[in-house]
This record gives sequence, C-alpha cells and structure tokens, in this order.
Amino acid sequence: MIVAVSPREQSRARYPDEEGYVERDGVRVFYEVYGDASTTFLLFPTSPISHSRLWKGQIPYLSRYFRVVVFDPRGNGKSDRPEKAEAYSYWEVMKDGRAVLEATGAETALLGGLCDGGGYALMLAATDPALALGVAAISPSLPRLTPGHPNYRRYPSTEPVDTDEGWAKWNVHYWRRDFRGFLEFFFSQQLPEPHSTKQIEDCVRWGLDGGVQSLVLADEEAPPPFASAEEARDLVARVRCPVLVVHGELDNCQTRERALAVADLTGGTFVALEGAGHMPTARHPVKVNGLLKGFADEVVPPAPKVKTWTRALSRKRRALFVSSPIGLGHARRDVAIAQELRKLHPDLEIDWLAQHPVTMVLEAEGERIHPASAELANESHHIESESAEHDLHAFQAIRRMDEILVANFMLFHDVVRDEPYDLWIGDEAWEVDYFLHENPELKSAAYVWLTDFVGWLPMEDGGERESFLTADYNAEMIEHIARFPRIRDRAIFVGNREDVVSESFGPGLPEIRDWTERHYDFAGYVTGFEPVSDREKLRAELGYGPGEQVCVVTVGGSGVGGDLLRRVIAAFPAASHQVENLRMVVVAGPRIDPASLPAHDGLEIHAYVHDLYRHLAACDLAVVQGGLTTSMELTANGRPFLYFPLRHHFEQSFHVHHRLERYGAGRRMDFETDGPAEIAAAIADEIGRETEYRPVETDGAARAARLIAELL
Amino acid sequence: MTATAVATEQTRARYPDEEGFVERDGVRVFYEVYGTGERTVLLLPTWSIIHSRQWKGQIPYLARFFRVVTFDGRGNGRSDRPTTPSAYDEAEFAADALAVLDATATERAAIVGYSLGAQRGLVLADEHPERVEGALFIGASYPGGGKALDERARFTWEDELETDEGWAKYNKHFWLRDYPGFVDFFFSRIFGEPHSTKEIEDCVGWALETTAETLVTAQHGRTLEPEEARALAGRLRCPLLVVHGTRDQIAHYTRGEALADHGGGRLFLVEGGGHAPHARDPVAFNRVLHDFLERLP
Repeated sequence: MIVAVSPREQSRARYPDEEGYVERDGVRVFYEVYGDASTTFLLFPTSPISHSRLWKGQIPYLSRYFRVVVFDPRGNGKSDRPEKAEAYSYWEVMKDGRAVLEATGAETALLGGLCDGGGYALMLAATDPALALGVAAISPSLPRLTPGHPNYRRYPSTEPVDTDEGWAKWNVHYWRRDFRGFLEFFFSQQLPEPHSTKQIEDCVRWGLDGGVQSLVLADEEAPPPFASAEEARDLVARVRCPVLVVHGELDNCQTRERALAVADLTGGTFVALEGAGHMPTARHPVKVNGLLKGFADEVVPPAPKVKTWTRALSRKRRALFVSSPIGLGHARRDVAIAQELRKLHPDLEIDWLAQHPVTMVLEAEGERIHPASAELANESHHIESESAEHDLHAFQAIRRMDEILVANFMLFHDVVRDEPYDLWIGDEAWEVDYFLHENPELKSAAYVWLTDFVGWLPMEDGGERESFLTADYNAEMIEHIARFPRIRDRAIFVGNREDVVSESFGPGLPEIRDWTERHYDFAGYVTGFEPVSDREKLRAELGYGPGEQVCVVTVGGSGVGGDLLRRVIAAFPAASHQVENLRMVVVAGPRIDPASLPAHDGLEIHAYVHDLYRHLAACDLAVVQGGLTTSMELTANGRPFLYFPLRHHFEQSFHVHHRLERYGAGRRMDFETDGPAEIAAAIADEIGRETEYRPVETDGAARAARLIAELL
Repeated sequence: MTATAVATEQTRARYPDEEGFVERDGVRVFYEVYGTGERTVLLLPTWSIIHSRQWKGQIPYLARFFRVVTFDGRGNGRSDRPTTPSAYDEAEFAADALAVLDATATERAAIVGYSLGAQRGLVLADEHPERVEGALFIGASYPGGGKALDERARFTWEDELETDEGWAKYNKHFWLRDYPGFVDFFFSRIFGEPHSTKEIEDCVGWALETTAETLVTAQHGRTLEPEEARALAGRLRCPLLVVHGTRDQIAHYTRGEALADHGGGRLFLVEGGGHAPHARDPVAFNRVLHDFLERLP
C-alpha cells in the first residue's frame, strides 16, 4: 500500500486557546490548552511514534465540557528531540505531563491516555493521588505488567533479520532502511478495521513528523519503567481514583490480558470494543467520546441543573434540518422543501443546524436557526483552505474534513439528545449520515437523507491510489446501507433517475445508477423558486434595459471562485468590443471581498445579491463555475451560460456535467486552456442565444416534501 | 366520571420474596421485600388514601438491580388503622420506616417518596442521616416553598361548605358524606394527563380499601410547618433528586423547585406531567430513578 501523505496540516475543528512550552532538564515540551471549563482533562501523548494531533477526534468535543490539555511527547511534534535514550523513559514523559499541568495551573485533573499514554496516566495517578481525579486508559500499555503482545516477539527487534515480511518490520534496521514502509505496515495493523485509510494516513504523517531516531530511542533503547512484573503490578495497585479501561478486540499492539489486569488491579471498569483495533480514538471517535464523557461525568458530576423530559403527547411536532454549507445552493432548495413540508404539516416546527453562508439565506427567510449552530466547526473555511487557483480537490477536501465532521456530529448528537425531534433531515450532511451508520444505536428519530449526487469518483490524474480510495469510500457507504437499512428512512435524490451517472462505484462494486435506483426515491430537481414567466418585466424590475446585453458572472457562495472572477473580468474589455451594449454584472458572493477584484469602466461588482436567481433568470448570458445549483437555475430559465468546472472537483467534472449534458444546457469551458480571449469569444457567441433545453420540473420541492411528510 | 374499582387485586409482575409486620405502640405495619441487590431502596408510603401498590410500576424493574423494601402506610393496605390522630404524625410514619429498615436488617437505604412521602422522608433523613444514602422525591408536597394552588386554597377542610364543586370536595364533611365522590374527583386531579383511566381506577380501588373516617383521623396528624420543612431540607446531606410534573394540580411544581433548591439537589421536570409521573410515565421515571440510584456513592 502506498499512502499519499499531505504535507500541510488540515483545518482543525478547534484551535488551542493557549499554547506554550515546559522545560525539564533542558528538554522543551510543547503543550496546548483548549476551553476554560473548571475541570481539566489531560490527554497524554503516546510514544514519539505520534504526537498530540492523535486526539483530534476528542479535543473539539471534550473542550466544550472540560479544559483539555494535550502535549507533544519528547521526540515528536513541536517538542524537543533529546539524544539520550534515558530521556525517553516512561517516567520522564509522566513527569512532563505533571509539569504541563503545573504550568497550566491545574491542581487536579482527569487523565486520559492511549497505549503508552494510558501507562503514563496510571503512573501519574499512582504517584500523585491528590492530582488524579480519574484515569481513562485506552488500549493501555505498561511494560512488564503482563507479557507484551506476541507481535513484538515474533522477530528480534534490534538484530538484523533476513526478512521484511510482516512483524519482521518491527526492527530498528528496517526502520532505518524504510521508516515510512514501517509506519504504513504498523498503522495498518493498528487500524485493522476496513475503510481506515484516512486514519492510517494521519498516523503515518505523525510518525514521519517524529522521525526514526526518536522511535529507536524511546521504544528500543530507553530503560524500562519497571524491573519486574511485580513492580509494575504494585504500582498500578496504588491507583486510588476511578479508572476506565477501554480495549479493542482486534488490538495488535496491546493485549486484552494487560487491559484486564489494569482494570482488575485498580477496580476499574472494563469496556470491550468488539471488532475494534488499537486506536478506537481515531476509528470510533463518537463511541470513545461518549465513553470519556460518561466516565468524566461520573467522576466529576456536572453542576446541578434542571433537566426536562416532555411527555410524548405533550410534544410539539418538530424537525431538525441540517443543511450543508458547502455551496449556497442547498440553502435555497432546503428552504423550499421546508416551506412545502409546512403546507402538509402546518403545526411542524423546523429548527436549522447550519452555518454561514446558509444562515444568511435562512435569516432572510425568517427561519429558526438553532442556537447550537454557533458552535459548529466551520466547513466553508475548510473548503476555502483546501482550494487553490480555480482548483478544489473535492474528494480529498471532504476526507481532510474528518476532524470537523466528528466535531459537528458530536454537536448534532448533543442537540438531539437534549431536545426531542420527530425528524432529522440532512441535506448532504455527511457527518450525520456517516456517523449514524457507524453508531446506529444513536438514531432516535426518523431520518431523511438528501443528496444530488451518488458516488465518489476519481479524477484522472489521481492515479491508482485515488481510484482505490474512492472505491473504498463507496464500498463503505454501500455496506452501511446494506447492513443498516433502518438508518435512512428516506433517501431522496434531488433529480431524476437519468441524472445519476452511469459509472461504477469501483472494482467489484455495483453500477451507480442501478444501485441508486434501488436505494433512493427521486424528487426531481428542486430549484427553490418559481420559473420566471415574464422575463421582460423582471428585467425592468432589476433595472436591465431592453437594449442591454446582460452578462452575470457568479461563483456561488464559497470563497473558491476568486480566480475565475478575475479571469472573466480580464475578458471584459475584449468582450465589450465584440458585444454591443454589453453590461457585465459580477457577483463576488458573501465570502469574496469585492474590493479585492480589479475594476473596469462599465463593469459592476456586487458583494452579495439576494435572490440571485432572479438576475440569472433575467440575464442574456451567465458565466459560472460548474456547481449544480446555479447551472440548473440557468437551465430551468433557459438561459445560455458558460461553465468552468473547478479543477479536481469530481462532482462538477462528472456528476454536474452529466446532468447538464442530459438537459442540453450550457457550454463547458476549461480553466486550464481558456484565457480572456477565448472567454470573450465565447461570450460573444453565446450571449442572447435562443436555447432548447430539456424542461426542468417545478414540483421537486413539493415531491420531496411529500416523501418526507409521510414520516411525520 | 365514576370509576369502577376492581374487587380482586390484578396479577402482579413480581411478588415479594419476603413480607412481614412491624409493630410500634400496638400499631402493625405491613412490609414487603423484593430482590437481593446490594443496595436497598425504600419506597415510602404517601398519604394513606393509597398504599404500597402505588409503586407497582417501579418494583419489578428496580428489583432486578436492587433490593426493594416497601410498606403500607398506617391507615391503608394491610397496615392497621389507628384511631388516634397523633398516630398519623409525620414523625410516626418516619418511625415506621425506621422500624421496617430494622426488621429487614437494612443498614442503609436510598429512599423514594411521593407527595406527602417527601415530608416523612425528610424527617427520616434528618433523624437518621446514617441510614439514608440518597433521596428522590416525586410531586413533593413540600410546604417549605413554592406556590400554593389558588383553587385549593379557597376552601377549608374543617368547615361545612355551601358547595361541593371542585376543590370544595376536599372537605371533611364531604368525605364523610360521599367518600367515593371525593375519591373520583381527587384522582382525576392527580392525573390531569389525558388517557389516564387505568391509573385513576387503580388509585380509586386502593382508596376504597380505607375509609373516610380513617382519613379524617389521619388529617389531624401533624405535618411539617414551612419553617420546619425548610430546615430539614437545608440539613439534608445525601444526594437529592426531585421529580415534578409541570402540570401538577395537587402540588405546584415550584414546590419541587424549592425543595431541590433548599436541599441542594437536582430537579427533573416532566413537561406536561401531572402529580404522579411514576404511575403515569413509568418508563421515563424508572430510567431517571435507576440512573439516580446507580450513581449514588
């Protein structure tokens, strides 16, 4: 397996409120603090094979309830890399943890740790009982407490061996020869659950951050913390605080026997995770977060508060709408569906869990935005951070959003646990759909999934690795649906059967359209507006004169489109030579500053235009990205348009393109090859042209609402 | 509405493993024990208009995890019906509870009290804090704070009234004149939730196992004064959870709020619930109760 490792850290769901260093014996250790709750939760690192990002699935959630402190172990992350093996002993890392707590002003703390981190936490609790409120030890490692995992004893680890197969890779000579190969092998063993590609990539990246020497010193040359099993047992037995031990059945690093010994010696609670490997923190973050929170609440009961349970028949009929913020398009169609739904259930109260820029549309429509929305980790910002010049690798951008997805699912879960909703509707709410299938016991209301495309597809230049990854993501989704058909009470495709691409999900997987027909209802396209009947009147209302040739340039709601806007603006002088009375109207959108765009005489630039669809309906030509919503609005109104799919954006390149071909709509352009001259020529060709598009249905929102209403 | 009381007791989901009587000052009180869990839960009696069968929604569930002890309050069920008012002082009910704990060799127990049960529970916890490891009170008839219900306060219990409409039925003379009429009225107010016919019938049946005369005598027993109740709540040392329906027509939910506040406990409100959520919403209540008991130190 070759793991593509991205050099740049992906967006976090939460950034530290405070960071700093502690120094002991000349070794500097980097720490971070999140949140300001009264109880501190220290999450220990593991060995220098990884660093504090290990806890990325936990930090955003736990820091809503606790003051979370993490630190990079000596030998990795932003901490120093001491050169002597003694500096890497368990006792030293434990002392680093204590020093970090001191530096951050914590007199007591809950202690958590994975693998070696569990060992450090237990050692600190045993030696400093006044400090430790409780220990959550996940897949705990404590050398000598019990015999180590057989995997580590298959081959000698410090002498050369004559093979590189399997666990022979646990060998310092191999590490020095092919550290990356070792990390890929090791973490595929520690994440044995199918569909763990992203977690493995993360771990390999973090392992490379530390380097081979740190691992050699810490794991092979540092003195063991205990001379004997007895010494280890005596220490663990000294732990007086409550203890939680979590262990995965498929752990290839630490044995169940060792985890049970910790629970037994401390009188702690043992939670077995069946089917899980060594790193449930990464692979089963929702479950682990629930365990950590539950444990912490028992140890440090939250301040008294009033809880309310509403009798079933006293409850109002309520729905929670989770609307994806990636692109403005979903907001308008979701509002249209909500409005139709209220016609069928006039007593229905709808709350929205949504973020900017969706909330702009919702506010304008007077919809009720759930206050917890303010705590959502920002997805739009992430997508912008993933984009380059007219380039957004949509599939990787979603993968690299995994931390945000966990954080936002946890928020969703807290909301629906505290307030009874009858129905959850997720419009491409990936976090809700994915984690409900991963944690099916959390489904406690009817659930509707909406999407306008099915199937992750690889871009040509992504090579074998990308084909493998998209197929793996598709396979996991297919398995989810097959195993838990009860999760999605309705899966609604926003479009028609023929709008689904005729491609394969991947080798050995079904054909996408066949599968989708079997698993989805089809609502038809949802435009979110009535088609314009009197275009001349509309033009007059918007101030477009009869003789003017209006060209609207827009790039949707995200900030990704600045480069296209600039390129089209550069075509303006040539285009205005070729087109008489050309009036070009550029809409920057809510996330691009209009002042950052070049100005020309006769060129209009607006920030945000409410009811942009009316301008698109009135124009003589539009220039847009390849997003579905805008291009379908233009199609529905029979307007000519040029569209530029974002580079590496599989949805725009394949799914939207397929749909537009079917409608016979739009002229596909290529950002790679089409410069200002080509754009000006295309504008001149297309502007004001009569179109013969396939008609777009106008009852999509009502059809979707009828499908949903049956669940209420 | 006239509710029909059923003559024979319906099948129970669970029968006691042990039963017996304690006797104090010549008054015999009947108790039952279910299950063998390590922790004991003592389900206290409420006003003697009903008896320990009020806990039928809880006992079979709780007994799977805990040892459950309950007893019929003097004046109903299989307990005696003393004829002197002072035999019905709150302190006497608390003393019965203690005697039952002794008789069942229960060193410590979590106590659960409904309505008037909160008063005797507070007395017991105050006099014997070492025996009480947690207290949960439902629809607490707590005089130490919260609002009185106007419609109740309009009529006196003692005097002959000109009307017997509504809360005028809560009157000694009406009880003696038309006890079943009072009972029907009273339990229809306890269960304000729609579709509560069976819960009302149950209570009416239990109420008819005692007499108006007994309840009149019991009415003269000494209950807690507001100051006294506040002092007891303030001295409570064990964990406290107060469960109250927001539509309680017997004890306004602000009484529960006040008790939770004075006793340093938590409040669990049942939105839309009446006076007896443990009977009307047994599943939701049982989960709350179990959670409370399980988390006790």
